[in-house]
Amino acid sequence: MSSRGRWAVIGLLLAPAIVLPLCVSLYNREDPTLFGFPFFFWFQFALIVASVGLTVPAYLLSQGAERADRERHGLPAEPPEPREPGKGARP
Amino acid sequence: MIDHVNGVVLGVFVFLFLLVTVLGFAAARWRRAESLDSLDEWGLGGRGFGTFIAWFLIGGDIYTAYTFIAVPATLYAGAATGFFAVPYTIVVYPLIFLFLPRLWSVSHRHGYVTPADFVQGRYDSRPLALVIALTGILATMPYIALQLVGMQVVLQVIGIGTGSDSWFVKDLPLFIAFAVLAAYTYSSGLRAPALIAFVKDTLIYVVIIVAVIYIPSRVGGWDHIFSTVSDSFASFNKDNADAIAAGDAAPKATMPAAGISQWAYSSLALGSALALFMYPHSVTGVLSTRSRSVIRRNAALLPAYSFLLGLLALLGFVAIAAGVKVENPQQSVPQLFEDQFSPWFAGVAFAAIVIGALVPAAIMSIAAANLWTRNVYKAFINRTATHQQEATQSKVVSLLVKFGALVFVLALSKDFAINLQLLGGVWILQTLPTIVVGLYTRWLHRWALFAGWAVGMAYGTWLAYGVASPTQDHFGGPLVNFPGTTTKVYIALLAFGLNLLVAVVLTPLLRATGVAAGRDQTTPQDYHADIGDAGVDEELGSGTPVHA
Repeated sequence: MSSRGRWAVIGLLLAPAIVLPLCVSLYNREDPTLFGFPFFFWFQFALIVASVGLTVPAYLLSQGAERADRERHGLPAEPPEPREPGKGARP
Repeated sequence: MIDHVNGVVLGVFVFLFLLVTVLGFAAARWRRAESLDSLDEWGLGGRGFGTFIAWFLIGGDIYTAYTFIAVPATLYAGAATGFFAVPYTIVVYPLIFLFLPRLWSVSHRHGYVTPADFVQGRYDSRPLALVIALTGILATMPYIALQLVGMQVVLQVIGIGTGSDSWFVKDLPLFIAFAVLAAYTYSSGLRAPALIAFVKDTLIYVVIIVAVIYIPSRVGGWDHIFSTVSDSFASFNKDNADAIAAGDAAPKATMPAAGISQWAYSSLALGSALALFMYPHSVTGVLSTRSRSVIRRNAALLPAYSFLLGLLALLGFVAIAAGVKVENPQQSVPQLFEDQFSPWFAGVAFAAIVIGALVPAAIMSIAAANLWTRNVYKAFINRTATHQQEATQSKVVSLLVKFGALVFVLALSKDFAINLQLLGGVWILQTLPTIVVGLYTRWLHRWALFAGWAVGMAYGTWLAYGVASPTQDHFGGPLVNFPGTTTKVYIALLAFGLNLLVAVVLTPLLRATGVAAGRDQTTPQDYHADIGDAGVDEELGSGTPVHA
């Protein structure tokens, strides 16, 4: 898949995590309740879990897309190992 | 209100506070650098924090003690839009995932410490960088003040300092807490809040998990809690029907009603999410990470805090069901802990909230100090400042910023701090077109962005000034009617829309009249660089200095 295609898929994956929480009319209701929680509340908790579920594949896809982007901009696909890991290396 | 101090509560509280104080000073030696005499070290913790530390640091940074006090307070008070904090913290992470890695890369390539550094490098405009920096400082100050308000609430519930009439004795605990905070931030820089964040978040997680499992079972389960709350709000609305109709009181509700208040809810969530990662302290947190992927991984991990925040918010309802009666809704959750927990665990809970105020207050004061040093001091006052002079300047300013916040809370009214925090959100969002659009394209002209910023700031402030509430004539809330309708929306978004419009309309005009666009210091490659690439692993002396 091209880098553009990958970013499009990432966009599609992340879009629901931005759009759904903003569509309040979808979820501002009492029923159905879950463990005593009105729908309004448990649905938003479910959205948190769902957004994590979408961000993880988006992250994995972005790793490949990044490699392609890096090559396109004249950088090696993988960044070289930093000289002194863990310490923002200092000469 | 309780007037006596429980010895066990106070003992546990003081013990935990002393523990983090020791940690704060010890942090200077943690992940030891050769010297803390540069902003990369003092102000960004060496720019080497991995996924794990960054999770605690950014989490501690975004979910502040004030959030933990104020969000349940709005639910306790029956504000239907109070729960917007949850969708707000869902929406923010995909945005962080998409935008901030680019800011990370370009900042590391060029040694930018603040968002205004980036603006200077990208647009070659000192006035634009200056106003972006000043907006950041202005928006951050009241935010720090609110952390103090959060601490004050807890100290009041514990009962220390309340028994005396002297203002000095009354405020002494707050004074001590802040002096300690100021001292270790001064000596350890960003490492101090990063290390303390471990303790803070561990405590907060334990307290909240225990609270949401244990307390509801004591007051009759969630079913019972939600029905008690509905009944209580319904009877309030019935008893105060006349006042509500006259606009002297606000009706209470558990969720936004169909139609009008939905837009208030979603515009607050969107506007706050967009504003959040423009705040200097979130940028500081993000720039202190080790690599691009740390940011993306954290976008998937940080929502754990949102879950926590949601549960905590519901404690506002639990407090109603548990029969907590307090004048100031902000005291509802601390009071709930005091009533329901055994004294030692209440001490742990109070310490968690107070320590929770110290972490963001430290990061915010560092971020504001960095803005001052880089974009006012170095840009205008001492253009040849060395790294050491920069670090010294920042350390001193971080003290001044905190002292200012303290004076703010003690000398002026608390409402004033809350009003300014509201305005802070409106103001900081006006920096978004310059920073975020600038990460992708330089199409918008620097003077068009400047004009957009000015219009957005003025319009947003004017709108906020005109909002009256039952208790205040001005700055009464974050919502206004969308022009030409009766639908309430978040002021920040309206001002942002006008800001963007002005920038887009003026850009072609300025181009056509040949106004200079300045020289771009960055290259397209800079927005993709990662740790290990040329110019990224050597922080000091690399890249073109931003104020060259």
